[in-house]
Amino acid sequence: MESLSPMFGPDLNFPRGLTSARAAEILARDGPNALTPPKSTPEIIKFLKQMVGGFSILLWVGALLCWIAFGIQVAQGVASAFDNLYLGVVLALVVILTGIFAYYQEAKSTNIMASFSKMIPQQALVIRDGEKREVSAEQLVVGDMVEIKGGDRIPADIRLIFAQGCKVDNSSLTGESEPQSRSCDFTHENPLETKNIAFYSTTCLEGTATGMVINTGDQTIIGRIASLASGVGNEKTPIAIEIEHFVHIVAGVAVSIGVLFFIIAVSMKYKVLDSIIFLIGIIVANVPEGLLATVTVSLSLTAKRMAKKNCLVKNLEAVETLGSTSIICSDKTGTLTQNRMTVAHLWFDDQIYSADTSEEQTTQSFDQSSQSWAALSKVVTLCNRAEFKPGQENVPIMKRVVVGDASETALLKFAEVILGDVMGIRKRNRKLAEIPFNSTNKFQLSIHETEDPNDKRFLMVMKGAPERILERCSTIMINGEEQPLDRERAEAFQTAYMELGGLGERVLGFCHLYLPEDEFPDTYPFDTDSMNFPTSNLCFVGLLSMIDPPRSTVPDAVSKCRSAGIKVIMVTGDHPITAKAIAKSVGIISANSETVEDIAKRLNVPVEQVNKEDARAAVINGMELKDMTTEQLDEILINHSEIVFARTSPQQKLIIVEGCQRQDAVVAVTGDGVNDSPALKKADIGIAMGIAGSDAAKNAADMILLDDNFASIVTGVEEGRLIFDNLKKTIAYTLTKNIAELCPFLIYIIASVPLPIGTITILFIDLGTDIIPSVALAYEKAESDIMNRRPRHKKKDRLVNEQLAVYSYLQIGIIQSIGAFLAYFTVYAEQGWLPNTLLGLRVNWEDDYYNDIEDSYGQEWTRYQRTYLQWTGYTAFFVSITIQQVADLIIRKTRRNSIFQQGLLRNKVIWVGIVSQIAIALILSYGLGSVTALNFTPLRVQYWFVAMPYAILIWVYDEIRKLFIRQYPGSWWDKNMYY
Amino acid sequence: MSKEEKKPFSQTMAEWRQFVYNPRSGEFLGRTAKSWGLILLFYLVFYGFLAALFTFTMWVMLQTLSGDIPKYRDRIRSPGLMISPKPVTALEFYFNKSDSQSYAEYVSTLKQFLKSYDDSKQSKNIACTAGKLFEQNEDRAIKQACQFNRTKLGSCSGVEDDTFGYAKGTPCVLVKMNRIIGLKPEGEPHIECLPKEEGKVQITYFPDGGMIDLMYFPYYGKKLHADYLQPLVAVQLAIISNRTKEEVTIECKIMGSPNLKNEDDRDKFLGRISFKIQMSE
Repeated sequence: MESLSPMFGPDLNFPRGLTSARAAEILARDGPNALTPPKSTPEIIKFLKQMVGGFSILLWVGALLCWIAFGIQVAQGVASAFDNLYLGVVLALVVILTGIFAYYQEAKSTNIMASFSKMIPQQALVIRDGEKREVSAEQLVVGDMVEIKGGDRIPADIRLIFAQGCKVDNSSLTGESEPQSRSCDFTHENPLETKNIAFYSTTCLEGTATGMVINTGDQTIIGRIASLASGVGNEKTPIAIEIEHFVHIVAGVAVSIGVLFFIIAVSMKYKVLDSIIFLIGIIVANVPEGLLATVTVSLSLTAKRMAKKNCLVKNLEAVETLGSTSIICSDKTGTLTQNRMTVAHLWFDDQIYSADTSEEQTTQSFDQSSQSWAALSKVVTLCNRAEFKPGQENVPIMKRVVVGDASETALLKFAEVILGDVMGIRKRNRKLAEIPFNSTNKFQLSIHETEDPNDKRFLMVMKGAPERILERCSTIMINGEEQPLDRERAEAFQTAYMELGGLGERVLGFCHLYLPEDEFPDTYPFDTDSMNFPTSNLCFVGLLSMIDPPRSTVPDAVSKCRSAGIKVIMVTGDHPITAKAIAKSVGIISANSETVEDIAKRLNVPVEQVNKEDARAAVINGMELKDMTTEQLDEILINHSEIVFARTSPQQKLIIVEGCQRQDAVVAVTGDGVNDSPALKKADIGIAMGIAGSDAAKNAADMILLDDNFASIVTGVEEGRLIFDNLKKTIAYTLTKNIAELCPFLIYIIASVPLPIGTITILFIDLGTDIIPSVALAYEKAESDIMNRRPRHKKKDRLVNEQLAVYSYLQIGIIQSIGAFLAYFTVYAEQGWLPNTLLGLRVNWEDDYYNDIEDSYGQEWTRYQRTYLQWTGYTAFFVSITIQQVADLIIRKTRRNSIFQQGLLRNKVIWVGIVSQIAIALILSYGLGSVTALNFTPLRVQYWFVAMPYAILIWVYDEIRKLFIRQYPGSWWDKNMYY
Repeated sequence: MSKEEKKPFSQTMAEWRQFVYNPRSGEFLGRTAKSWGLILLFYLVFYGFLAALFTFTMWVMLQTLSGDIPKYRDRIRSPGLMISPKPVTALEFYFNKSDSQSYAEYVSTLKQFLKSYDDSKQSKNIACTAGKLFEQNEDRAIKQACQFNRTKLGSCSGVEDDTFGYAKGTPCVLVKMNRIIGLKPEGEPHIECLPKEEGKVQITYFPDGGMIDLMYFPYYGKKLHADYLQPLVAVQLAIISNRTKEEVTIECKIMGSPNLKNEDDRDKFLGRISFKIQMSE
């Protein structure tokens, strides 16, 4: 204190604050009062990562081999050497362009976030040079004197030196949902507990305070937690793992076939250079160049769709993570509940009535005919200090803004819904005196004139803690009649009180007294300090209980989660009883489940004797959790399917998340506070609240829930599962034609026929005709109710499984190859080269100086004439693959159902895909057929139909496959054919 | 997700061994013998069916073709030119006129090539009217061929000089036009050869003027026109003696016929050919 005193000047009450010069000095030393944003990877690194990820390495190798081949051929003076140079350049371009595309997609989703963190610069009222001035909060330095008032965000960690009725909301920091009062008194060693420190980024709810800045920027408590969060490593998303797995499979196939055929080629006495060129062809044919870009597009389409449903996805891959989620750790307040107190039950006339707690209530339907209700409603209306902010007449009652605390607000709205015009009633029953609620009295009291002009009595109304109110009563109102409060009645009260309390509701008691006219005349001077009026022997009117009710969409969403095999765990800072009540009402604890404690109570045995496995549900207190070993926690997570963690601190959330992850679960965590950010980061998918969430939480999360509604998570899960299924289809579609691209090279090497399809032509399929169709599969609707099956097992249900690869490669792919080869042989045969002539022809065919090779009919061909025919062969092969890919696209719409069950026309985008596919092929053949470098030629019309029988075969065969899968579930066929 | 711990190498190996052969379940490469049997049987049937289908569709396709002439001839509208003998590498002749070994290959190729033009082989062939296309009746199953006697090639016929002039330093090169079914040249087609540099070589054509007679056209295809002999033009190059040891580039073109192209940008052999020749003594 002594060291501080110079700053206060001669009078401690009028602090002079720092001088501007001194402030500038400290600012230079400590830096601005702002959190350093989490370290982000430099853009160039991100960009380069895209250039070497996925198949890029393989393609770079291909490009490099091309250039090497070019170099050697140039040295040898081979005329066609430049083809290899161009191919190398094209491959490099493919890698760079897909890299740029992926980078752009990632940058776009990051930009969504940037808009979030951009906030209006916060201002702080600071005393410097002895005068008050507004400065940007970033300019604050340690030692500055700042003033705060209700509604302000605390601009730094502040030690209070003056406070008046100051209350702060620390929920984002400590998870306490109740407002905390702040004073100048040092009350605890722990800075988080003491009352004289207000923390950066929390808000001041009411009152005013002056304090001195003790920490700024990253030194603040929040800053330290934020840096803790960035220490928690980001895990790879499940879809990233799946894609990696898939890339490994494809690259493995490419490399092994490539190497195998390199060896075969060399041992068949091919020149090494030729063998290298074959190797390039095999790599290019095997790698689905466009696929990763397609996956990115599909994911971002889903992300867009999810954003429309209030799930804003920051990281594209998180789209699918949500779909594979097996455990959701959800907050209670605001996510499962409406985050506002609402009257849930009433007790009067010895009976409990329930009130409507839905979001959009306009009427209440319980029995309102009793006189007791009239009396109770009067007490509720009058003994209340909350008021609507003016000018909201047209706003629905539930949405109006109220000045007052949560319970009073609930009561005000409740009264307004039933009685209407509460403010008018209050005006007609003028308030004469009032004692506000305080923690010692635990009641609130007011005295009113009555609106009945004939009744000159004053009405005293009182509400408060039920037991305290009951103490002051001697009578109780039953059906509008005052009855003596005997033991029997008192017991009835107790039962009702216990029952409502057991529901986790906050219960208030109401009583009133008409003051006798003779003792309290018109002019009686009520004095609230001396309490010159009776406060005992009152008449008890009734009880009202309030709760923060669940959102009306939540129970349905929870049951959807349950049928989808997702465990919902509630993690809340609230009291166990309230937590359990809400858990029961939303179905997190189902109606017939019991906790260990429940069983103990029912069987009347000690808790220890209950077999823990009998209890499906568990309510764990944060205190218990603190003493648990990891094994004990694991045991709880395994043995109980319905779990509620109550009174947990946000730090414990991290422990719970880690526990879930030890069970191999994919965990989604919701959170809003700064302290949640480590858990959000640790979770497989962190979900921050868009409305209530702090910036730190939003930064740490993978997804932002724009409406804070749990039900939105479930729609997100649905989208995530759908995209997983659809990505399977996309990949199966894309992989199929790789075989049809690969076989030509293998046949070319082994049978030495003229090359059926060129490397450049392959690229036109992979990056041309196939792109839009494979994206179109992302629009496919679900085949069955995807929310009725269990979440996929992270390690067993792969995106690309054996069945998918085998079915695509060895079955449909082979059919496609055969169809395309039919077209190839047809083109050559009709031009004079019968199939038997082609075998073994390669060396002569490719000899630049052999210009009179004889065909099957005795005609002689120059090299260029043969090359042109070869290009016609390429085009026919290309067109055949395209035509068969149309059939492939149609069959990939479903994996189990018949196409006719799914509907051919429901997904219009598929048709856009088919049209685009054929249009691109037409343009390439007829429009660009004269461009030599592209190796396309205008094709005779009938060649478009040669592969048609095989296209039909693909469709028919796949329908048969699906029919057997549906007919014989679990059979050998099902196990081997369903992907 | 717990951090993936590195498995010890021995464990990885054990897992692999387990995968290759699992004695407990009797699984070999992840499948039991029965399972392998089933899957192999399936693929046997599946590929058997596909093979049959492919054979069938190929057969159907081949049935639509005629054995006599190809369905389309639009990829060869105009013939290419080619020479005989054809050097092994590129179109470059290197020989020493005093070393018979250096041109033995060329001579034997020419002899082989001209065998089918021997008089003994031409007995079936008829003498046709020169200067006129020899079109034959459609319903004739076997088309007749016109005679082309080696004697037409003069000193390049190999009758008088069995080294085709190579020994004398006046090598012969045969220029021929590619066969194309149904091709009917117009005008008066003849071969014209020019050395790149004037005055290096003297060129003599057999038959005179490098003429290609129209009576050898049209060609009816290998099957119908089995005895067909394509007309040849022999080019004898007399390299000016002081110019030996220098490489001479010679370009031959088909001239005098409006429907035989010889100026295509991309096809360097369409109606033309260029070759190099270098002779030493």
